[in-house]
Amino acid sequence: MKKVQKRSLSVMLLVIVALLGMGFYIVRYVVHGAQWAAAPFNRTIFDGGMLNVGTVVDRNGVTLADVVDGRRVFADNADVRRATLHAVGDREGRVGTGALTVFASELTGFNLITGSYHRGGDPGRRIELTIDARISAEAMRALGGRRGVVMVANYETGEILAMVSGPTFDPSNPPDTFEDGVFVNRGIQSAFVPGSVFKVITAAAAIEQVPNVFDRAWYCNGGFDVSGLRVTCPGNHGSLGIIRGMQVSCNVVFGELALEMGGNTMLQYTERLGIAGRTAVSGMQTASGNFDAAPRNSADLAWSGIGQFTNTVCPASLLRLMGAIANDGNAIDLHYMQRTGPVSLLPPRTERILSRSTAQQLSEVIEIQNRQNFPGLQIYAKTGTAQVGGGHDPHAWFAGYITNPGHPLAFVVVVENGGGGAAVAAPIANQVLQAAIGR
Amino acid sequence: MDIIRDILYRINEFTAGLDGGLSSYATMMIRFILPVLAIIILVRCSHSLFRERSESELWGQLKFPNGTILDMFSWENIIGRAKSSDVFSDYPTISRNHAALIRDDKANWKVYDIESKTGVIVNGKKIEGDIGVPVNSGDTIELGGIPLTFIAADNTDEYEQAVSRTKPGRYYKQRVTIAYLTLFQMFLALQLYIALDEQFSSAVIYSFLALIILTWSCYIITRILKRVAFEIETIGFFLTTIGLSVTASSVPSDIMTQIMFIVLGVIGFFTIGWFLRDLDRIKKFRRPIAIIGPLLLAITLVLGTNRFGATRWIVIGGISVQPVEFVKIAIIFAGAATLERLFKRRNIFAFVGLMGVCLGLLALMVDFGSAMIFFVAYLVIAFLRSGDFTTIVLSVAGAGFAGFIALTSRPHIIGRFASWGRAWEYVDTAGGFQQTRAMTAAASGGLFGVGAGNGWFQNIFAADSDLVFAMVSEELGLIVAMIAVIAILIYAVYTVRYADEARSSFYVIAACAMSAMMVFQMMLNVLGSMDILPFTGVTFPFVSRGGTSLVASWGMLAFFKAADTRQNASFVVKAPKRPKFSGGGSIIYKNEYDEEYIGENDEGNYDLSWDDNQEPQSGVNQTYEWGDPDEKFWENLDDSFWEGGNDR
Repeated sequence: MKKVQKRSLSVMLLVIVALLGMGFYIVRYVVHGAQWAAAPFNRTIFDGGMLNVGTVVDRNGVTLADVVDGRRVFADNADVRRATLHAVGDREGRVGTGALTVFASELTGFNLITGSYHRGGDPGRRIELTIDARISAEAMRALGGRRGVVMVANYETGEILAMVSGPTFDPSNPPDTFEDGVFVNRGIQSAFVPGSVFKVITAAAAIEQVPNVFDRAWYCNGGFDVSGLRVTCPGNHGSLGIIRGMQVSCNVVFGELALEMGGNTMLQYTERLGIAGRTAVSGMQTASGNFDAAPRNSADLAWSGIGQFTNTVCPASLLRLMGAIANDGNAIDLHYMQRTGPVSLLPPRTERILSRSTAQQLSEVIEIQNRQNFPGLQIYAKTGTAQVGGGHDPHAWFAGYITNPGHPLAFVVVVENGGGGAAVAAPIANQVLQAAIGR
Repeated sequence: MDIIRDILYRINEFTAGLDGGLSSYATMMIRFILPVLAIIILVRCSHSLFRERSESELWGQLKFPNGTILDMFSWENIIGRAKSSDVFSDYPTISRNHAALIRDDKANWKVYDIESKTGVIVNGKKIEGDIGVPVNSGDTIELGGIPLTFIAADNTDEYEQAVSRTKPGRYYKQRVTIAYLTLFQMFLALQLYIALDEQFSSAVIYSFLALIILTWSCYIITRILKRVAFEIETIGFFLTTIGLSVTASSVPSDIMTQIMFIVLGVIGFFTIGWFLRDLDRIKKFRRPIAIIGPLLLAITLVLGTNRFGATRWIVIGGISVQPVEFVKIAIIFAGAATLERLFKRRNIFAFVGLMGVCLGLLALMVDFGSAMIFFVAYLVIAFLRSGDFTTIVLSVAGAGFAGFIALTSRPHIIGRFASWGRAWEYVDTAGGFQQTRAMTAAASGGLFGVGAGNGWFQNIFAADSDLVFAMVSEELGLIVAMIAVIAILIYAVYTVRYADEARSSFYVIAACAMSAMMVFQMMLNVLGSMDILPFTGVTFPFVSRGGTSLVASWGMLAFFKAADTRQNASFVVKAPKRPKFSGGGSIIYKNEYDEEYIGENDEGNYDLSWDDNQEPQSGVNQTYEWGDPDEKFWENLDDSFWEGGNDR
């Protein structure tokens, strides 16, 4: 008997395994619970994909989304509704980056203690976005119904003031048929061929990797040959250095710099600067950018240095990089929900992606000297006209930042198949920034 | 019934007369009350189970020539030089496992030669073969040249011992614990009443009322049987209550069927318990029951309905039955054995063969989850019987190999393994659909749940069975769900704890195998639905909706009770009869319900219903009240002896 009784202790082994398993589950529950509960099939907080509690306001307290008589309503102004659709969300939860979806657990007051429970009739929580309804509406008007994105962020705090994506719709009066891709937030969920805005990245690499790059000179006669293939330049710039090369966006300068540094070095820099791969906006992963290291001395490598070949860039990642150049090389995590609670007392998370001196030199390279198109703006930026092939018009890019006192703002504008960067994207940026600095 | 209608009417008036606001506040408050009650119930039950002093029963003694007397605390004792012997003696002429002394139900002792080198001589006669030789008190058993005098406890000894042993219930009054459970049941019913459609309101109230009545009836039956412990049953009813809430929330139209299964389960519990009282009966029925196992599986395979890739169900008159649940009990019954059988090799071979046939049939049924549960039961039984670690390792390796073959040949099982640990990558495909919903539901419930009947998870397929942990977490909260998990673990700890005092190794092996099986099944259910283990689709004992599983779980409780030898704790364990009065004649007592009955006093354990050995004697009938002055013996006992415990 004693033997059998002693052996019965083996059952305790199973009990211990079960306890360990339950402990493991509790740890996972604590770590991931909020994430699990925020899934759109959680019908306690989503009614047919729609969050049925909670209020969303902009940085100035303008209501962006509210619940009235159990029904989700949006901002009073139609322009604001259309401009903030991708930051706030729609009734059905189809806009993946909408606060109603992303911050569902904050809106319902989710916590591990009481879960998603809210008493019937409980209005839920109020969250404040960093979005500025006025600037967003201006951006929406500037975009003028074209497909594309306008993003403006404070590069010292990481707060996104505008995140307008086109096409858009009025969430209070949704159309019967939706335009293709209308639910996509192009700022976060898309990556585009960058074209010449990519020269900023090539320049950043060159400043650190090419000795005496500021003393170097290149000669442009409308292009150059690499291994028997011609890499063209729209201009015929003659002899020029890197700063002039950036101003006139000379393909010869940056194509040859890419060839000189090699594909792997370029890849390294795109990764370090957050251009290839993903960055995060409010903890949400952005679309992945792409950079392929082309073989040595190939025309592809030269093209990749000027933002063509297989390159793609997510606008939010470029916005972060522009902010870092302005911010002495420190990239701040971008977010569009106002940080609250004790966490907000800590400085936002930053990552040094460029040395202070590189950032300084880079800002000199991209400074816009001729400011007649940007009255009152101390602006540092780069245009891009990205060839997309297939008979489509190029994407128009304009990305950079301003250093006006009190307005540390970085921006990125993309107009899909919109035409030339300088002609199409730059005026949009100007219009939005003028609104932002209050002129 | 009029009273019930009146109460229903008043509740209706109460909730309907107010706007949705108040009933929503009621739901909110009950969310916090239920976990508190659940904790109180579990703490009271477990504390009561584990705080009792460990008191062994003395069944016999062996007197050595040098005057040493060694005690035997079980019905099955090994005498030998091995340290783990029940009667340990380091005489060099005694073999390691020399002899076994085994008592049967009718207090007849037999001695067996187990693995002795020098043989066993009883009253001068050597034992031949492995046949047991009857011995009586005073007989001499000679082992290795040493004559031992055997002394068996007689009826008077056993009786006096029974009287002097502590009865459980000193610390916690069982009826107070049950009252807490009743409160729990009432609040849960109220919450469901508020949440559910009006058409089910009365069904919910009636079914919970039925459950409350059933709980108290069981307690009263236990008391009528002169037994005092009710912790195991209370925990069982607690889990069953959660199961009833699950049914009410997911398929409210089925709630009366569920009540029927609960009643069946409780009847099964008492029936199996009665069956287990008699070891001789157990031995007699071992073979037939062993054959029932594979037979039931074979019938399922032939007549069964294939659902969701497994052939587990037989549909009888519109009700689905899963015979495999009963096979679990049958197999463990066949696998457990009394001590004298443990040393016979062919017995374990027979068991291995039986298990092999069952696992083979389960493989044909594509019931992977059950196969794993059976295998755990097999491991526990094999280890308890042989103590051989090597065999166990080999078994696991063999099973791993068989499992690999099963995996590579069954696409739907591979599918489950492919998505294991990565459910969120398969959010909308079969591989992760259920698990991701389960995790979301569980997190959505938080610690206190969204309220019974208020969840959405019940709409997910198998929410009330294979994913029931998530459903309980969502509606009643993580605390109540964890208490359900801990309740199952307490069963296992309890079987191990009381293994030390069990009378026969049959009870120890059966109870341990069953509790291990329950724990493992619970683990597969909980961790499988939460994507920590592969999702195999097994039920949570007592809680999952599904009649067969519930009835089988209650059946297993009877085995747990059989191992509990605390004095008067368990109706499955017989207590010694009171020695007859010299004057003769039966005595009429009044019990606490003021009913007269013939027989022994409270602790005398005269079982009116089951004891067929003692005929009431004719003669002068005397009527005693409690504490009759004529009975000096009763007078000297303190009140707690009668009450079964003091309240705390």
